[in-house]
Amino acid sequence: MTFVMALCVTACVGVSIYLLLGRDLKGVAMGVFLLGHGANLSIMAMSGSPVLPAENATAAESLKAAPILGAHVPSPALANMVDPLPQALILTAIVIGFAVMGFLLTLLIITNRSTGTLVVDRLANEPVSTTRTDTRAEPFLPSGTPS
Amino acid sequence: MTSTLFKTAARLIVPLTLIFAAYIAMRGHNSPGGGFIGGLMASVGLILYRMAHGRAALLRLLPFHPRVLVALGLAIAYVTALVPLALGQPLLTSLVIDGLYIGLGQTIHFASAVFFDIGVLLVVVGVTVGMIQRLSEEVDSQHIKESGCPTTAASSTGGNPR
Amino acid sequence: MSMALAGFLQLAVVAPPAGGLLLAIIAPVLAGLATLLLPRAAVTARVVLAGAGPALAFVLVLWHLGAHGVAGHTPPPESHHASITHVADTSGTDDLASQVIESSLSHASDAGRLAAPPQGTAVIEWVPDLDLNLAFLADGLGGFFALLVAGIGVLIVLYARGYFGGATEQARADLFRFYPTLGFFASAMLGVVLADYTLLTLVFWELTSISSFLLIGWNRYDKAALKLAKQAFFTTGLGGMFLLGGIGLLGYHTGHWRWSELLQHANDLDWSGGTLKAAFLLMFVGAASKSAQWPLHYWLPGAMAAPTPVSAYLHSATMVKAGVFLVGRMLPLFVLPGEGVGVDIWPGLITWIGAITMLYGGVTAVNQHDLKRIFAYTTVSQLGLLMAMYGLAGFDFDHAGHVVAAAIDLDITQIANHAFYKAPLFITAGAIGHYLSRSLPDLHGAFYKFPAICATMLLAGYALAAGPGTVSFQAKELFLYAIYHAANGRPWLWVILAMTIATAACNVAIFVRLLTTLLGLPGSMGKADHDSAHDDDHGHGEDGHDHHHAPEPGLGGALIWLPAVPLVALQYIGGLAPGVWDRLFGRFERFGYYFDHGVPSLLYAITHPGVPLYASGVAIVLGVVLGLSKLLRGQHIDPHDAIYPGVEAASVGLGRGLFAVLQNGSLRVYLTVVLIALMTCLSAAAWHDPGMIAPIGAEAARAFELPLGVIVGLLIVITALLLPVFSSRIVRVLMLGSCGFTVVAMYVVYQAPDLALTQLMVEIIGVLLFVLVLRLLPEPPQGERALPVGKLWRAGLGLVVGLAFGWITLVCAHAQPEALLGEWFSQYSYHGPAMIDAAGEKTGYERGGGGKNVVNVILVDFRGFDTLGEISVLGLAALGVWSMLPGRRRELCGEPPAQANASSSDPSTAEATLS
Repeated sequence: MTFVMALCVTACVGVSIYLLLGRDLKGVAMGVFLLGHGANLSIMAMSGSPVLPAENATAAESLKAAPILGAHVPSPALANMVDPLPQALILTAIVIGFAVMGFLLTLLIITNRSTGTLVVDRLANEPVSTTRTDTRAEPFLPSGTPS
Repeated sequence: MTSTLFKTAARLIVPLTLIFAAYIAMRGHNSPGGGFIGGLMASVGLILYRMAHGRAALLRLLPFHPRVLVALGLAIAYVTALVPLALGQPLLTSLVIDGLYIGLGQTIHFASAVFFDIGVLLVVVGVTVGMIQRLSEEVDSQHIKESGCPTTAASSTGGNPR
Repeated sequence: MSMALAGFLQLAVVAPPAGGLLLAIIAPVLAGLATLLLPRAAVTARVVLAGAGPALAFVLVLWHLGAHGVAGHTPPPESHHASITHVADTSGTDDLASQVIESSLSHASDAGRLAAPPQGTAVIEWVPDLDLNLAFLADGLGGFFALLVAGIGVLIVLYARGYFGGATEQARADLFRFYPTLGFFASAMLGVVLADYTLLTLVFWELTSISSFLLIGWNRYDKAALKLAKQAFFTTGLGGMFLLGGIGLLGYHTGHWRWSELLQHANDLDWSGGTLKAAFLLMFVGAASKSAQWPLHYWLPGAMAAPTPVSAYLHSATMVKAGVFLVGRMLPLFVLPGEGVGVDIWPGLITWIGAITMLYGGVTAVNQHDLKRIFAYTTVSQLGLLMAMYGLAGFDFDHAGHVVAAAIDLDITQIANHAFYKAPLFITAGAIGHYLSRSLPDLHGAFYKFPAICATMLLAGYALAAGPGTVSFQAKELFLYAIYHAANGRPWLWVILAMTIATAACNVAIFVRLLTTLLGLPGSMGKADHDSAHDDDHGHGEDGHDHHHAPEPGLGGALIWLPAVPLVALQYIGGLAPGVWDRLFGRFERFGYYFDHGVPSLLYAITHPGVPLYASGVAIVLGVVLGLSKLLRGQHIDPHDAIYPGVEAASVGLGRGLFAVLQNGSLRVYLTVVLIALMTCLSAAAWHDPGMIAPIGAEAARAFELPLGVIVGLLIVITALLLPVFSSRIVRVLMLGSCGFTVVAMYVVYQAPDLALTQLMVEIIGVLLFVLVLRLLPEPPQGERALPVGKLWRAGLGLVVGLAFGWITLVCAHAQPEALLGEWFSQYSYHGPAMIDAAGEKTGYERGGGGKNVVNVILVDFRGFDTLGEISVLGLAALGVWSMLPGRRRELCGEPPAQANASSSDPSTAEATLS
């Protein structure tokens, strides 16, 4: 199972690097999103395979239990339950990643407004006006027209 | 987007979503759920409502800036975190009461960490709804600029001063 | 403040030896800071309080020396005295130098005293494991320097009152600002000379550089002064870096971080290999930069942009001697009797650098007009002499038979001598510049207008010229003896002797010119010779205060020259009554071999003529001739002044060039560089570790244990790979969304319901966010499609990096840690394990989180602090969005579209509408 996860990580990270190296900032934003998936899956994989070890497996249960303590308190050994810690870490990462995505997309809008382009190579040479009054004074700057 | 079917469905679905979000958040300590999920779920419901009925309707439902929610949530979370400090306990210590009597012959298992979860929920709702709302305002205003008339969503306002 | 003072007083009582010295070190800065509490008008109280700091330090150091003795000082044996007298009385020869050799030969036992190490005083521990402690060492050298710094500090506090004045608002503001900075310097300097830990020395060393920087740039509005302050700071600061390297090397090589320990174990150190030599070289560069040795001397004349009290204190008497002090500290460590130990490059290197500095400074000093520049270059010259003195000390040890270092005989006297005439010269130069001018040609006949100031200056100038009757004369004689003595068998040292004579002649010439000019005698540098009296001294040197003030009446006015008097008096006491001088300073001399551990009297020197006396005579004659001649009367522009600006421009240029290469603004280049570097490191790691390869096969064999997982995994891979295939942005967003949903499925497979739910919601909102934003963004221009080569390269790099990350995942997941944190978390999630009492009864449970959903308990309880931070970040991100996209609510809320258009076409109304 871990091997499959490794392949998923490879695909997510590989495609995200491809996008990050692209010319279009929107693609870069997508790349960041995808990179988040790759990282989360990587952490998930490190909690080990969810498949129960052969000696503990029964006909009804072939997977480890979710980290919810049901009837059995105190908890089962981790051999029978998936590790909760990576999940907690990923949960945090997902939400933070979402907030950062919102921030990043807003940055794209602002970048487009103040420079008129989202092409990475052009941005490097563009004099960027960073003052806030710019976005205020021209609230309806046509954003669809490349400079 | 604004078909009658959708609008009607939204009217039904949105309250259900919100209730379910609250439920999920409250039971999060013992079953799958929690502040993050509950908050996100409530946000999805609110955004759905906005898509169906427009910006002004959401403003009627939520007649304040979402940052109020963020501030409130942060305040609750920080207070929950700091109160144990005042009582001589480490930061964020949770008070656990195994059989809290809530009347009507019922007891529940209570952990004060649930307040923290509520704070998280409010922050998540505030952030998510705030971002989406602000971005869709941008889209609306761009639409006004391009077409010369407000979108249907924007035009269906009731003149809410906010 | 009083609390702190009380605390330190307590410290002084509890830990007397170190505490007293610590208190002495911080007393000036505390007093300086305390002056800030006084109202600006309280000038007298301010002066008294500021002066109390160094005065207290002086008393404390004296008290310490009295109570604990001078560290490393052993009283001279009685026989010494007898034999010296014997040699001196009965030899019958007139050659003093040969007597010196004989007397030194007869006291071979003194060699041991060089290595006799001083004991450091008590330690106040701070971080003992890192050898970061406070320990102090008040040996002869350190103790003397501390008294010098504190004593002159008091005088400078008084002088500053006279110099800045006290009546005007400007003067009060200056004094308000000056005393804390001066106290800061005094404390730092006391720290340098009293620290026993090498690293502590370094810390204080850098603090003196900082305070010097602050004081040179005193006039904050003078760009030239700021530039010079920077020049001094970077030059001495760079030297500090060298010193750090040397101290570090020394410490790591020897394992000793205290001077006293180093001196104690100097004989046992591992002298083979070049490590200690390298350490010595590094430390010497540090010392040379601080003590303005050629070719790093340029900062010292530049530092004369500081107010004159600073010049008199930092840049002549104390701080610039820190390098000399350091070399004196290092001497017993690196120069040892015996074969194969010590540093053999010591004498050659230090002597030559010192001698070149000495001669260059002397000749340049004659060729100046500005009094402060003249004295600055003579300071450079004298510092070179002191360096050469310590350098010469190395010669006698590698010469069998001559076991005693002649040159450092009475080194404290040499150092004291310079401080006692140079500080008065600066003080009076500042005074005369305050009233008249600092340019020598302008001062024709100034003696008759300001007799007291000019008399003091001339008396000090007489000492500069090493005239008979001052201790300076004997000091110079001693130095000449040393060279003459060392030159026995080393003919090239005669060159140094000649250089010393030339330097001495230059000093005499300066005195002659001072004398003739101030008294208005013929041959002066009067106005007749120079029309351009107000020449700009290289654009700096003026410090904004030297502009013809009227003399201030009373004691306050006299303070502008009075503090010079006691120092000048000491010069003449030393010259005319060497017995008194010896009683004052003899106890600090560690290396007094001749003349009964004291300064020989003038009479003795004259009645025992030899090469040194003849050399002095030649120097005086040459000097008088040079002083009266028309030679060297210009304003020499020091070519070394171009060094620093050149180096600065070069390094700024280099930085710009590097920046242009490394920060070219292309995101893609940055990313590529980072990724390639990462891949290189990974490959290197894998190369050495077979554990990086083995898991691949093991895990591949178990790939198909869960068919559902395989299907979901394949879906993730496919949706991810399809993402870049499509060019339509909406399709791309949908592909991104579907990839997210398959990830949700994967979380379900992995038994993570919370994650699945969260990811599902985030995916919904995220797709929505993307769709919204993409409507606001332009399509990329169609005409500039990337080249296929570029695509291939991107894909290749993506594949490699992706594979690397997959590989890391595999290796990490394959490892089986001994214990999992998750185990503990799940155990304590609801309540902890049962507590069993002694009888075997269950008494209850240990404290737990009180929740059955372990993930949620981790989030809100065990790692709740993380979550607290996280929601704060969420709030900040939202704040960022809101502030970047300020709302347009009013337009959307009921304003007719026509008006909205109108407002948008006119920015000013748009502003109004929006606000």
